[in-house]
Amino acid sequence: MSEIQHGFFRHGDNSYLANFTDAEREVLLNLVEQIIELLAERVDHHNEDPLAAMVGITVHDTPPEDEVLLRLLPNAYADQVDASEFRRYTESTLRQKKQAHAMAMRIHIKAAVDGIVELDHDSANAWLGAMNDVRLALGVRLKVEENSQQDLELLAPDDPMRGVYAVYSWLGWLQESLIDALMDESQ
Amino acid sequence: MPKVKSKIEVNEKLDEELKAIFSGDVPWVTIVWDDPVNLMTYVTYVLMELFGYSKERAHELMMKVHTEGKAVVSTGSREEMEHDVARLHEYGLWATLQRGDQAL
Repeated sequence: MSEIQHGFFRHGDNSYLANFTDAEREVLLNLVEQIIELLAERVDHHNEDPLAAMVGITVHDTPPEDEVLLRLLPNAYADQVDASEFRRYTESTLRQKKQAHAMAMRIHIKAAVDGIVELDHDSANAWLGAMNDVRLALGVRLKVEENSQQDLELLAPDDPMRGVYAVYSWLGWLQESLIDALMDESQ
Repeated sequence: MPKVKSKIEVNEKLDEELKAIFSGDVPWVTIVWDDPVNLMTYVTYVLMELFGYSKERAHELMMKVHTEGKAVVSTGSREEMEHDVARLHEYGLWATLQRGDQAL
């Protein structure tokens, strides 16, 4: 394989490839596993009705207090009463779907042979969703705003956020390469 | 005092409007809000995938979100819009729904 970084590229019909180094796979695994854990049921669960939980209804209807979780599980309505009602019936399903994206990504990374990951259209969509959730989570921590890119580029070498921003940027690049490969197909 | 009419014009449109009044069936809208993290190409791609929009249409909506801060991406019944918002949240877009006759 060449030394040049390509990210994902299209490889025939319904096939998208990327070649990752061990270090890159390590970073990706670490991130998706954190997302999976973060999306696990909220710790503020009490008095959960097991039957209601089975059909995806939860007792909590308040938005998550954690800023990252709130961005991953946002309110669907501006109106608080409507937002609470919607959350009670849908939040659990949304968590499961996002977790499923991240879990699909984890399986692919773990199953990579010689660092090569191969995706079809559906698994590519799961990857995009999972990579986006990771970027949203990192973006909240980095306090990314519309015009903050320049400040983030200029973080001091000893700033712990510098490494986080590097990962965030790299993930954006990787995500974009996969979108380009997918868009190529849809033309 | 209200004016009264001795004649009414009945057509399909009236039928639909009367039905909408009694069923409370006003159209609802799904709104996507601008977000500093989501890539422009990603927003375009998600709109194409979820709604089957052409690349041009999806790009146009994404640009509206980007420049105006928000855009209506779909219209329909409340249930349909709840479904759309849930799917957009699944892919990390920042979306809400509201009645179509309320100010954006």
